[in-house]
Amino acid sequence: MTDPLALDPVLPVRERSALPFNDEALDHDERYRHFEEHVTGGGKVESTDWMPDEYRTQVLRFVEMHANSELMGVLPEREWIMRAPTLRRKLALTAKVQDEVGHAQLLYRVAEDLGKPREAMFDDLLAGKTKFHNVFHYPTKSWADIGIIAWLVDAAAIVAQQALRDSSYAPYARTMKKICWEESVHIMHGRDVVVTMVTGSDSQRAAIQEALDRWWGPLMQMHGPRSDRAKDRDIHWRIKAKTSEELRQEFLSIYVPRIWELGLTLPDPVLGLDPATGDWRYSEPDWDELRTVVTNHGPRSEERLQFRRDNREATKWVRDAILGAPRVAA
Amino acid sequence: MTDGRARPDPPMAMDFEGAGDGRTNALALLLLSMADDEFVIGFSDSEWTGIGPILEEDVAISSIAQDELGHARALYTLLSELVADGRDADAIAYDRPPEGYLHARLLDHPRGDWAATIVRRYLYDTADAARLDALVDSSYRPLAELVAKIRREERYHLMHMETWLDRLATSPGEPRERLLAALADMAPDAGTVLAPLPGEQALVRHGIIGEPFEAIEARWRKGVGRTFQRLGLPDLAATRDPGRARADHGDAFRALHAEFTMVRRSEVGATW
Amino acid sequence: MGPRRDPRGAAGGGVTESQPADRAADVKGSDGRTLEPWEVFRQEKDGDPMRHGGSVMAPDATLALHYAREMYSRRQESVHLWVVRRADIHDLADLDLLQPPLDRSFKKPGGYVMRDKLAAAREQSGQAKPKANAGER
Repeated sequence: MTDPLALDPVLPVRERSALPFNDEALDHDERYRHFEEHVTGGGKVESTDWMPDEYRTQVLRFVEMHANSELMGVLPEREWIMRAPTLRRKLALTAKVQDEVGHAQLLYRVAEDLGKPREAMFDDLLAGKTKFHNVFHYPTKSWADIGIIAWLVDAAAIVAQQALRDSSYAPYARTMKKICWEESVHIMHGRDVVVTMVTGSDSQRAAIQEALDRWWGPLMQMHGPRSDRAKDRDIHWRIKAKTSEELRQEFLSIYVPRIWELGLTLPDPVLGLDPATGDWRYSEPDWDELRTVVTNHGPRSEERLQFRRDNREATKWVRDAILGAPRVAA
Repeated sequence: MTDGRARPDPPMAMDFEGAGDGRTNALALLLLSMADDEFVIGFSDSEWTGIGPILEEDVAISSIAQDELGHARALYTLLSELVADGRDADAIAYDRPPEGYLHARLLDHPRGDWAATIVRRYLYDTADAARLDALVDSSYRPLAELVAKIRREERYHLMHMETWLDRLATSPGEPRERLLAALADMAPDAGTVLAPLPGEQALVRHGIIGEPFEAIEARWRKGVGRTFQRLGLPDLAATRDPGRARADHGDAFRALHAEFTMVRRSEVGATW
Repeated sequence: MGPRRDPRGAAGGGVTESQPADRAADVKGSDGRTLEPWEVFRQEKDGDPMRHGGSVMAPDATLALHYAREMYSRRQESVHLWVVRRADIHDLADLDLLQPPLDRSFKKPGGYVMRDKLAAAREQSGQAKPKANAGER
């Protein structure tokens, strides 16, 4: 994997002289202390500020995985653009997938400004050195999947993204605000597809239930295993503010009632709200499955990575054309 | 494709017999041909979604595809109102056999590489612009109003495609070679968008269209010729078999049709 | 302060070991040859100021404008866009210049606190404090 410590910052350090960590006269340890105080106290960081290597590495890894996920997340849905059963659904799905590409652009831009070129990030993704979220390693089997994914996968993502709008890394936080605004439409589109099918024919309803049964496991794994807040470096640096468990609880508390109100069931007999604690109980997700999948051994991991490699190769000449000979003056 | 027997006339995809006079039939055919053009090219371009050559360009081509689908939707809606036989825009768009589609043969060429997409789009957008110019004062008011809006959206398509055509044509080596190969492949079908439509005399007579397609095609061809000359590209070949410009769609379209009707056919009459 | 320098350019900046070996060093300048960042400014509605929205990678101004339109007005959320090459932006963030330390309260409304003086003047004249908006000419 590319050593982020070897990167040049793309932009020169700004002279924010009132912020002591930007003061080049101080030694590294002092700057580190000031920086840590600034960030843990709620201060924001811009791409041009001095950063300790650990912070830069953490942020880059976090943003890069997010960007990778948006890019790979396109693939499960893309094939259904061709198959959308009405003009409006086709437009909506094309627009949703387009947004995902747009989000990838926004996030890769943030990562680029931390010093890692776009092509290097694509190299690492396609070589399996960097990761993307579990849900995008699974097949989509029917139009019902499209409804379930657009509704619930995007819902789980937005729960995480809303919590990132106050990230200490300001360029990332700003991007999250734009992304959350755009994602809210996706959830509505997905829910509309689901509700339409649930109130449609018996086989449409059955298709939704079947898709939900298949996707529930990956959805429960999506926010990741429980972590110790005190040991979580991303939380320490305020890159993110909420733990996996907090995000999962939020997701369950909003969306399980909305699933149940449609008369749909969830394949977890334990699932329910514990009135004593106010927390949702659930069967332990299969963390082995999660580990297997995110290390690119999921049902569609290799196929999708290969698809991307092939397309990247096939379009390389276009990128080279842009970097080629100067244009004749028109 | 050649099997010795005379090929029948391209079928009328819609049964317009009960819809009235020659004017209505011809108008319906015009709307259907335009809608099918936009529908099919919208499909091809939406195939780039997620796999475009640069992220930013991916978003751009997706917008263009969505615009075309939006235009198709509006045209199918207009058609369903004109014919008023109970079919809505979706039913017209989706519920026909492959041979019932009236898009121009140019659009049967598969997506291809980026050069092929740019060439097909450039040829289509310029031809479509010429067609829209001839409809902007249409005596059929709903169409005139729709055309006014569509033209405003299409300006961006032309700007974007001209930028890419220019860039590929003036980049020596692989980009220009691929552009030339795509042109050679598609040029004989370029004029199919503006080939004469059956019954178009009625359209001209009633002022639905400003002039016959032959005149529109000639003007378009001259305009494209000027651009190609500036870029050192060969002249466009003459249109092959113009009498079947909107027929004989072939296996690629047949496969596409199977794909885009798949979900709808799984449950006929369902609401999606 | 001054023009932003892109260390990957003329300084021959060190880039990552995983950068493709066959790519020539990025060439500086807006010559249509290089994908470089362009900052996007947008106006949300008539009368609003232009506000920074983000950035796009593009080889020239034409494509930068097209891409800005895609990224920042797909949902018709802008009525006006600017794109500016990041390399052309000049930057000032020096707080000695922007936030100099000596008192400047005479330049700000908050620097004029008259509450006690007004109270004394009213007491002297036997007048009450006027009601808000009373006696406006």
